Amino acid sequence: MTIPTGPRHRTSRVEARGVPAPRPDRSAPPRDDTDLERLLALVARGDQDAFEALYDKLSGPAYGLVRTVLRDPAQSEEVTQEVMLEVWRAASRFDPARGSATTWALTIAHRRAVDRVRSEAAAADREQRSAPVPAAVDDVAETVEATMDAEQVRRCLEGLTELQREAITLAYYGGYTYPQVATKLEIALGTVKTRIRDGLMRLGNCLGRSW
Amino acid sequence: MRLFSRRVHELSGAYALDALDDAERERFERHLQRCQACADDVRRMTSTATAMAMAVAAEPPPGLKERVLAAAAATPQLPPLPSATAARRRHGRRLTRSDWFPRLALGLAAAGVAAAVVLAVVTVSTQNRLSTVQAQNQQIAAVLSAPDAQIATGTSSTGGTATVVLSYAEQKMIFTSSGLPALPNAKVYELWLLSTGAAKPAGLLPQPTDGKTAPVLAAGLTSADKVGVTVEPAGGTSSPTTTPILVMTLPD
Repeated sequence: MTIPTGPRHRTSRVEARGVPAPRPDRSAPPRDDTDLERLLALVARGDQDAFEALYDKLSGPAYGLVRTVLRDPAQSEEVTQEVMLEVWRAASRFDPARGSATTWALTIAHRRAVDRVRSEAAAADREQRSAPVPAAVDDVAETVEATMDAEQVRRCLEGLTELQREAITLAYYGGYTYPQVATKLEIALGTVKTRIRDGLMRLGNCLGRSW
Repeated sequence: MRLFSRRVHELSGAYALDALDDAERERFERHLQRCQACADDVRRMTSTATAMAMAVAAEPPPGLKERVLAAAAATPQLPPLPSATAARRRHGRRLTRSDWFPRLALGLAAAGVAAAVVLAVVTVSTQNRLSTVQAQNQQIAAVLSAPDAQIATGTSSTGGTATVVLSYAEQKMIFTSSGLPALPNAKVYELWLLSTGAAKPAGLLPQPTDGKTAPVLAAGLTSADKVGVTVEPAGGTSSPTTTPILVMTLPD
């Protein structure tokens, strides 16, 4: 299973404007994040057992995401450790009004990963590596749920225009800033901004449920 | 102004994917505070990004869990942002403190250990570490009251001193320090049990209060061990990556 990843296999930049996005998958059950929010509330009070349970639920997605951005397993492990410790440290600052517990934790993970990749040394190192961006997909945890998640995201990404998909995957999985994305795709800055925004909106509609 | 707002608004997607540089991110966050429509968009798009993250989940490396849990046990937590709930929680913590303090003191009194060390161990405990200390205080008292409890002190090459109370019978030691230089946020002091050819991670030193670090309890002590301290990236590592700033030979 592979997720489309940016411009490497690009053959044409013609956007498929006429292609309708796949219909939202309403058959998928709504994800219940309240369990995680309950755990996070306990973690905020210093409950180490709750933190262990939270680690079991979040470390796989956090590590997979960090490794997708950084590619280097050793650095990814280090950053994942920082991320999980930040979840422990800042649990009391989680605000459910701004998103789910999963989103909060994975936002921390992504931010840490891009901070690392944008530091000069790491960036230079990364340019040496030619591994395809989401190499992590190959060993996605073999749970039915994870596989369904990946399959649905892949299908919905395919429903985007090529430019939307490339801009979004380069920015999110590649950790590039939007001006870097513009340079890589040789398109105007304003175009990147709107392609990312429109593409994300469309991707959200296609996924049809919230995390 | 209107044009400016609309342009900023277009950044919501790039913001949700962390594709802004620091300066633009700050500018957009200022804008977010007064633009409910943007906040709704960002919330929705960040949730979509989460779906993309879930799709690349991978098995974390073995051993990471143990390191994270051990590091968390030694890492103080941020207090909640000021609110009514926060005030209640702080009150609750005060009660908890009065609960554990006499029990710890009792254990300490039973020990034939110098009163000065006892006081240092107790008073450097910080409010944030109370829950950890609570869980550890029985074990700390057990070390301090062990018939074979001994004290060792050492000096760091970067300034500051360390005091260790150890018991080979309990196979544990309690480590405190005073006057170690402050570290940047991305770094931490990590404690090691050193034996011939091997370094066992023994915990991270918490942030100091008044220059002193709260006691760290390390298990698995054997009579051949020395104690070392290195400076490591936040969260610690599984083996030392820098030259120790302190190595202490322990009494037999």
